[in-house]
Amino acid sequence: MTNVIWLQGGACSGNTMSFLNAEEPTVCDLIADFGIKVLWHPSLGLELGDSLQAMLWDCVLGKIPLDILVFEGTVVNAPNGTGEWNRFAHRPMKDWVSDLAKIAKFVVAVGDCATWGGIPAMAPNPSESEGLQFLKRQKGGFLGTDYKSKAGLPVINIPGCPAHPDWITQILVAIATGRLDDITLDELNRPQTFFKTFTQTGCTRNIHFAYKATTAEFGQRKGCLFYDLGCRGPMTHSSCNRILWNRVSSKTRAGMPCLGCTEPEFPFYDLKPGTVFKTQTVMGVPKEIPPGMKKKEYALLTVVAKDAAPDWADEDIFTV
Amino acid sequence: MGIQTLDISPVGRVEGDLDVRVEIEDGQVVNAWTHAELFRGFEVILRGKDPQAGLIVTPRICGICGGSHLTCASWALDTAWETEVPRNAILARNLGQLVETIQSIPRYFYGLFAIDLTNKKYQHSRYYNEAVRRFAAFTGKHYEIGVTISAKPVEIYALLGGQWPHSSYMVPGGVMCAPTLTDITRAWSILEYFRTNWLEPIWLGCSLERYEQIQTYDDFMAWLHENRNHRQSDLGFYWRMGLDIGLDKFGGGVGKYVTWGYLPHEDRYQKPTIEGRNAAMIMKSGVYDSFSDTHTLMDHTFARENTTHSWYDEGKEDIHPFARTTNPIQKNDKDFNNAYSWSTAVRHVDYGRLEAGPLARQLVAGGKHGESWQHYDGFILDVFKRMGGPSVHVRQLARVHELVKLYRQAEHCLREFKLNDPWYIKPKEKDGRGWGATEAARGSLCHWVELEDGKIKNYQVIAPTTWNVGPRDAEQKRGPIEEALIGIPIADPTDPIEVGHVARSFDSCLVCTVHAHDAKTGEELARFRTA
Repeated sequence: MTNVIWLQGGACSGNTMSFLNAEEPTVCDLIADFGIKVLWHPSLGLELGDSLQAMLWDCVLGKIPLDILVFEGTVVNAPNGTGEWNRFAHRPMKDWVSDLAKIAKFVVAVGDCATWGGIPAMAPNPSESEGLQFLKRQKGGFLGTDYKSKAGLPVINIPGCPAHPDWITQILVAIATGRLDDITLDELNRPQTFFKTFTQTGCTRNIHFAYKATTAEFGQRKGCLFYDLGCRGPMTHSSCNRILWNRVSSKTRAGMPCLGCTEPEFPFYDLKPGTVFKTQTVMGVPKEIPPGMKKKEYALLTVVAKDAAPDWADEDIFTV
Repeated sequence: MGIQTLDISPVGRVEGDLDVRVEIEDGQVVNAWTHAELFRGFEVILRGKDPQAGLIVTPRICGICGGSHLTCASWALDTAWETEVPRNAILARNLGQLVETIQSIPRYFYGLFAIDLTNKKYQHSRYYNEAVRRFAAFTGKHYEIGVTISAKPVEIYALLGGQWPHSSYMVPGGVMCAPTLTDITRAWSILEYFRTNWLEPIWLGCSLERYEQIQTYDDFMAWLHENRNHRQSDLGFYWRMGLDIGLDKFGGGVGKYVTWGYLPHEDRYQKPTIEGRNAAMIMKSGVYDSFSDTHTLMDHTFARENTTHSWYDEGKEDIHPFARTTNPIQKNDKDFNNAYSWSTAVRHVDYGRLEAGPLARQLVAGGKHGESWQHYDGFILDVFKRMGGPSVHVRQLARVHELVKLYRQAEHCLREFKLNDPWYIKPKEKDGRGWGATEAARGSLCHWVELEDGKIKNYQVIAPTTWNVGPRDAEQKRGPIEEALIGIPIADPTDPIEVGHVARSFDSCLVCTVHAHDAKTGEELARFRTA
């Protein structure tokens, strides 16, 4: 049996909702087929009030072994580092996190808020929010740079706003079935298997990216969203176009620019005026280009691509 | 026997963290306080940002009803920018809203509510063993089907917006997507799958057409007695067990109800304005006062907030959301005589405290007010009157009664799309004020936005649970959930399951509830004149 406690700090439940959409395995399969026991979850748990508090204390005191602590939402420190603005079971939530992180074998941060702070930590960050082991790209966060769980690992980060259900279930199953050695974490402690490729990998608009054929405005059936509408697909690490969402699609397939929500800087540019759904350019060239490319080569490539583009690249292609 | 005080922290299986204090005398609740215990400050975060930032930020207020927030955020900008929204886009927005709510019904019923029917308190009910077989968490036969099937409707949302939760596919001027034949065909078959695998065989035990014949309480009774399939369906079973364990005996509330109305008609709201909204909605807005049995239309100018018992130092007056100044209390100590919640007390300027949610929507649907073409359905109003008013049981019935209607509305959207017509008309960005509203699964939701110098000057949200979970107001009137807790029997103070029933019957969403202030600067919010 693998005991799991799932708690929410400064959260919206988006990751919980995403998790409930899981299929292969479903949430019920996790329990029936993989021996995962959810001791408590805010939306699913049976206990309330005193009975839950008793269980939490039993975990803290080591009477109940805690294999995995899943955390969703930010760690709220306001006001002035006390955490009183997010109280749970008669204590600041951050105190529970601190106690449970000391005894948990593994700690998994699910979603941007728990990984890097996400939207609540956006300027001016009124709730003094941070992620478990990061604040944006800066290592440390609530538990500190050197934090290791009982099993000797840092916090496993599953970012995304929300995280994809399969990213969550597969990590839980990997831990429950002793496969964790198969998982490699990147420099942001994200499982590489989901976050090595780009959102663009598998996007149905790739060919239009290659020919620099743009989607100039919304509601169209052609082009790539990178050049005008601010799509971050080429710069974002995720598997959104390899492991589709809700089994059917992805933002970029549906015509919505990728917001880069698996990266610590999300929401990019702090959503300053002029930065939403608009590609940021300098002298007509996108400010940000695919990682690893040099500006000069990028410019050269796009000139050639534009010249080489066949006529159909500018026509409606996803037609009725 | 003196008065016993119970502090329940947390009441689980509501959205976010809800804490409740109840005072019990002779096994009954005689006083109650609900308090929201999380503050994130979304409205503060939005200030000074790009006009469209709300499209990205507000869905993240709540992962359960992000599509509802997106709906409000986009209509608010449409009214501020005076856009034109093409017919297809209205349908595509409505469809997103609809499938999100359809998703929510089984997920809520099985995941959050019905589990409680397996509580040991009910082991002497003759329905208990069957309830455990069906509804036990994770292992119940129907729990598993219901929770799993709830992921299906939002696949349609993903066809439109790329994913659920948290897409931002609705934008001022329309939608980002331009679905193709494949998308529409898949959406139809997802709906059909949902209907043939759960909605008809497991939930109703009959066809949609048969269920739609139920117009009155007597019709419902006749349906129940008609055959075994109806009685043994989850709806029939729930209704019988609920009566057996007395869910019709408590959890009433304030007896007055509010809905903003929702689902703009695709031919009537292409040039959206705040003033023209009421007359353009398929589901009409309204306030139902059960004491005088009257229906009136609802308008955003009727909304007021009071912070007497909230952790804000903003006087004791009722103020319109946009006339609020921000003067936070840093130290949010629980003081049940003074401030004890991050939620404000929301009031109607004439009717006072109102309950929001499916029960409110369905009681308003039974009114003859509004436009003649708007949706009318007298069923829940009739049940309400025949059952002697509100209770946990009637509130549940209202919630699940919407399933079939919303399914039909979703079919309507799919039928009405004209795939070669526009989905988006690029608007001109401008300064101004806008208001957008909808009905989330759990009730009335609206956004006010004020744009100045090409950025957000002020953004305000009133969520359904703000109406429901608010603390006392300046007149010391309890909020709807506080009121609904009064008089409930508590069988076992160590496991106050009845408090859970009541709180969950409102399908509370605490994460939506909490308003914002700028603690760092204590800046005053912009004033928003409602005259």
